[in-house]
Amino acid sequence: MDFSQVPVFSALVAARLCLALSPLPVDQVYKLANSPAVQEGVYLLQHGLDPYYEGAVRHSPLLLSLFSTVLPLTTLTAPLLWTACDAVSAWALVNIWRARLNVSHSSRDALVAASYLLNPYIVMPSLALSTSSYENALCLLALLFACRGQRSMSLLTFAFLVQLSLSTVHLVIPLMLLIVTGPVSRLASPQPLDTDKIKLLPPLAAEFILYSLFLTLAATISSGSCAWIEQSWMAPFLLPDLTPNTGLWWYYFTEMFDHFRPFFLMVFSVHLFIYVIPICLKFQHDILYGWYLLLGVFATFKSYPTLSDPGLFISMISVFPEVFPYLSYSVITGLLHLHASLLLPLFHSLWLTQGTGNANFFYASTLVFGMANGGVLLDSIRAGLRIAMGELKYDHDVVQE
Amino acid sequence: MRTQSVALGYYIVAIALLLALSAVAGAQLAGPVEDFFAQHGGSASASAHTNNWAVLVCASRYWFNYRHMANALGMYRTVKRLGIPDSNIILMLADDAACNARNKFPGCVYANQGRHLDLYGDNIEVDYRGYEVTVENFLRVLTGRMDASVPRSKRLLTDDRSNVFVYMTGHGGNEFLKFQDNEEISAFDIADALEQMWQKRRYHEILFMVDTCQANTMFSKFYSPNVLATGSSELGESSYSHENDYDIGVAVIDKFTHYILQFMEGINKTSQASMQDLFNTYDYKKFESHAGVRADLFRRPLDRTLVTDFFGGVAQAEILPFPPDESGPERSPEPKGALGHDEHAVGVVSPARSSNFNDTVLSGDARALQQRQFDTLIAAAAVGHPDAWADATRKLRAWASTFLVLVLVGWVGMRGK
Repeated sequence: MDFSQVPVFSALVAARLCLALSPLPVDQVYKLANSPAVQEGVYLLQHGLDPYYEGAVRHSPLLLSLFSTVLPLTTLTAPLLWTACDAVSAWALVNIWRARLNVSHSSRDALVAASYLLNPYIVMPSLALSTSSYENALCLLALLFACRGQRSMSLLTFAFLVQLSLSTVHLVIPLMLLIVTGPVSRLASPQPLDTDKIKLLPPLAAEFILYSLFLTLAATISSGSCAWIEQSWMAPFLLPDLTPNTGLWWYYFTEMFDHFRPFFLMVFSVHLFIYVIPICLKFQHDILYGWYLLLGVFATFKSYPTLSDPGLFISMISVFPEVFPYLSYSVITGLLHLHASLLLPLFHSLWLTQGTGNANFFYASTLVFGMANGGVLLDSIRAGLRIAMGELKYDHDVVQE
Repeated sequence: MRTQSVALGYYIVAIALLLALSAVAGAQLAGPVEDFFAQHGGSASASAHTNNWAVLVCASRYWFNYRHMANALGMYRTVKRLGIPDSNIILMLADDAACNARNKFPGCVYANQGRHLDLYGDNIEVDYRGYEVTVENFLRVLTGRMDASVPRSKRLLTDDRSNVFVYMTGHGGNEFLKFQDNEEISAFDIADALEQMWQKRRYHEILFMVDTCQANTMFSKFYSPNVLATGSSELGESSYSHENDYDIGVAVIDKFTHYILQFMEGINKTSQASMQDLFNTYDYKKFESHAGVRADLFRRPLDRTLVTDFFGGVAQAEILPFPPDESGPERSPEPKGALGHDEHAVGVVSPARSSNFNDTVLSGDARALQQRQFDTLIAAAAVGHPDAWADATRKLRAWASTFLVLVLVGWVGMRGK
């Protein structure tokens, strides 16, 4: 580890800790995985009431048992825990970057760490003590272990992530591909995947399923019944809670007739899945970039997104500086993000606090946010493919058939 | 051998002592337990109903049957005054006397000569009016067998703890009552409807009162339990109207209903007058007909059945004693706030101290103490008796799952790959 980077890293973490411990008012971060729900779950657990009765708590029982036994949440420990979580995520991102370059340190490490720790989309949910910070940390750790080739740790960390939110299980395919291929950047020089590497995948899948089963067993032991499966795992698929969030599902499903609900739930869930295989196929030469794109897809189209999901997506672009010259409209998407990030809290408060607006205002701002994320995603896809073309002669142009 | 027999002897003595103790404890408990259940006059005569309903039917139309509508409206006013809410009253008036073209006092219905009390007023709720008052609708109301589109205000939503007061007035005869001048309901129909109500647990007790000619025949066919019935005249007798009003021009009230309403004017919600008192006021000289009572299907003694059991919507509240004061480390070091003396078992609202509460400003300590005691009460009520064993198993489960997870992480970490 390069010791010149340590001061910068430490300074960032310390600043984050100060922010967490200072008595600033934290505005609402519209999410499913928020800390009041965790605290409520721990309280219910400690008073002998079933937290998974009728949707009081949507967290995994592992989280609840963790917070009620080993890591108690108080006003002091909670900011420390969340700051530690952010520090771990930033450290993981820096090491992913280093693994991608196949070096032990680089000059851009501090920048990569700062892109995570100073990203407001990451900081705000973390200050609000949302468990989505833990999901980010687990995701980045899984990526890190996969980049380093430590397949068991990677699959175990990913099994933890799947315990927290089942809809990320789609990402197991790119994770396994990453384990067998490696993170080194090959965007500019694509080669098809070796077919004999595909034979390495089934044992990995079996190992992942084994870890998942074990963790499911631990979760069932912790909660004492199987009620948590429907409340926690099935929540992203059944959409029981239509509280407004930054995503695109809630408004659609508030207006849905019950008759059509199962069909559209299926459509929306399948919609998440259909991106996985094509992106893995198209970016088989650089599956880390494919993972990055899939994070973008999930950030935009997830059922219960939080601000940390597009936050991770945007922070992770710092790991791919080779695509920066090929991003066509980064200014536009940047401004869209600025626009959306200002409008979202404004319209939320206008609608729900002041009462002078209505749901359509907030829904429009979520649409702008979705457009911003979608813009970044499309731009990244195009840039990732465009980079393989390389520099062009002055009278040549790239067209799409 | 000897030690074994000694041990056996000890065991027998211990068991005998235990039995004796439990018997004594049981005997000691029996007294307070029985007192608790017998608090309201004993289980034999206390009414076990929890809500009251009334079905008031005036079955005849046209202006000259003004008195039947006044009968029903008089009963309506009485039961409302004694506490049955509009939501629990089904009022069926076959014609509109108040807004009749022949009514010299539009919008008003009077039940006495001289027009001292307007029964129509501006706060009445007629559920079935005009041509909706039919035999079919009446039976549907009683039995509850209605189309799903019928609104709640037209339904008799009784349960097995409801006391229902059914009052019918109109023109009747031997085991029939005329509805709307074109159909009639028979005593058998009503008896069968009441039996349906009994089988569907739609009433706890019924008081069936009917004011027509030959009214007692209407309840002669009942066969369901817990029905008390009274009527205005015997078979072969007519029931008579009481008085005319010379400006309205028609008879305004019937004798039977008039005297019953007169009795009710002396009743309020707290009255302990019994149904026997009401039936004791029946007098042939006043009614000019033999009013009858049928109590053989009714289980309770009439002198212990309150009038308000049927005519009023009286609820019974039980005041529980305050729980003992909780002492312990949570007590603030200065329990003497503005309330002065030591607070023992401070309830939420204590009448003796309410004036203090309003007059003085409580210091922070006293208010905090009161809030803590309040919270303790609420918490104790909410949580009940925590099960120590379930608590322990829960903690064990949480730690077990955390341990399993840590073992897995450690094992995978050790492998290094």
